[in-house]
Amino acid sequence: MKVIVSRSGGIAGIRVTWEVQVDEQPDAPSWRELLDSLPWGQAEETAPEPDRYVYRIRCAPHEVVLPEPQVAGPWKDLVDRVRAVNEGR
Amino acid sequence: MKATARCTIVPPYLLVRLARLDDPRFAAAAEAARQSLLRDIPLREHRAAAHPLPPALAVRAGAARQRGRIDRSIWDAVGLERLPGRLLARAEGWPPTSDPAVNEAHDGLGETHTLFWTRFARDSIDDRGMPLEASVHYGRKYDNAFWDGERMVFGDGDGQVFNRFTLSLTVIGHELTHGVTQHTANLTYAGQSGAVNESMSDVFGSLVEQHARGQTTAEASWLIGEGLFTEQVQGVALRSMKAPGTAYNDDVLGKDPQPGSMAGYIDTEDDNGGVHLNSGIPNRAFYLVAEALGGNAWEAPGQIWYDTLTGGALGRRVDFAGFARATEAAAAARFGPGSREHAAVRSAWHEVGLGLSLPARAPSE
Repeated sequence: MKVIVSRSGGIAGIRVTWEVQVDEQPDAPSWRELLDSLPWGQAEETAPEPDRYVYRIRCAPHEVVLPEPQVAGPWKDLVDRVRAVNEGR
Repeated sequence: MKATARCTIVPPYLLVRLARLDDPRFAAAAEAARQSLLRDIPLREHRAAAHPLPPALAVRAGAARQRGRIDRSIWDAVGLERLPGRLLARAEGWPPTSDPAVNEAHDGLGETHTLFWTRFARDSIDDRGMPLEASVHYGRKYDNAFWDGERMVFGDGDGQVFNRFTLSLTVIGHELTHGVTQHTANLTYAGQSGAVNESMSDVFGSLVEQHARGQTTAEASWLIGEGLFTEQVQGVALRSMKAPGTAYNDDVLGKDPQPGSMAGYIDTEDDNGGVHLNSGIPNRAFYLVAEALGGNAWEAPGQIWYDTLTGGALGRRVDFAGFARATEAAAAARFGPGSREHAAVRSAWHEVGLGLSLPARAPSE
């Protein structure tokens, strides 16, 4: 199982992608628990705000596109964890 | 020492300093300070105690507003993602602080206000003297700046790829122009209208810097966000209006992806449909107009773009071709059909691949 977070937009318009192989993580069960708890498919359509980031989060079969202000709660936890693994923190 | 001494709270300025500490050795202290700031007494109370209104400001509050008068407030978000922030760091009439981000935001808003007021007679973002608000030190290592509908927000950057976002005057002008666009053409921030919205912010962001430095078209860098990258990045800026696609080429960030003509138009769902990518096309068109006319770009070229933005003829979802036609109409309206300015606009759009509004063959040529 793989989670892919890609962040586009921002004033720089630079796209960054972070990936995590969930099964290779020492805390794989807690990753799965978090992934199962996410409200996939419940993202609301909101008007984009200038220069804010746009996040595309994929974990087959799910995919969601979230504007930055909506990346809160469990979504924020996920994005922070994925970044932390990629940045070796 | 009296027993009551232990009740003394840590002064707010010290909490702010602690909250900003990046040193891992002080992580616990920094977090505690942030938590403390969060539950602190309302900041407006600190502010009133620490900075009583200067007499001139207090008198002005009761008097009728004078058009063109600037009213800035710079807030310090102290590393939190809450707006406007925890501390009012600098208001209009206050002296400079020891915090460069606060002073850069203050000065940048001033330069932006000056361009719009002195060159286009626009009284702030809404043309009705709207106070200008900015928040600095937003988030932790936050690599961005944005307009949230009410204020400009600036991150400190991560220090590895990005420096603080107030370093570039073009970025400050860019954010404030998003406010002007919101109050005028209100271009939908997606697809081509979103890229026009972005381009407007780059155009006026660049003009703010050129105007402040007194640079002609030939002298100006035409870069957006010069100096934002750290020395570790192979690149000079976020974008180049003169030569889109050449601002950076770095092994980590990749190459500047901006196209400079319709031949390179990028179809993507990312970035709200590539608003920061395809904006290179109208950006270059503006540069070409300025290059053809020479002199100061905030004069005829800036006036044509300003007329287009504020003239009421742009649809919210205008595409590039519609925007090109609107700038041609604005040039003809202000400088006359067939004028040098009108011709420069037509020719610029033609060069970036949007010459469809030109007749197939000019009748008298």
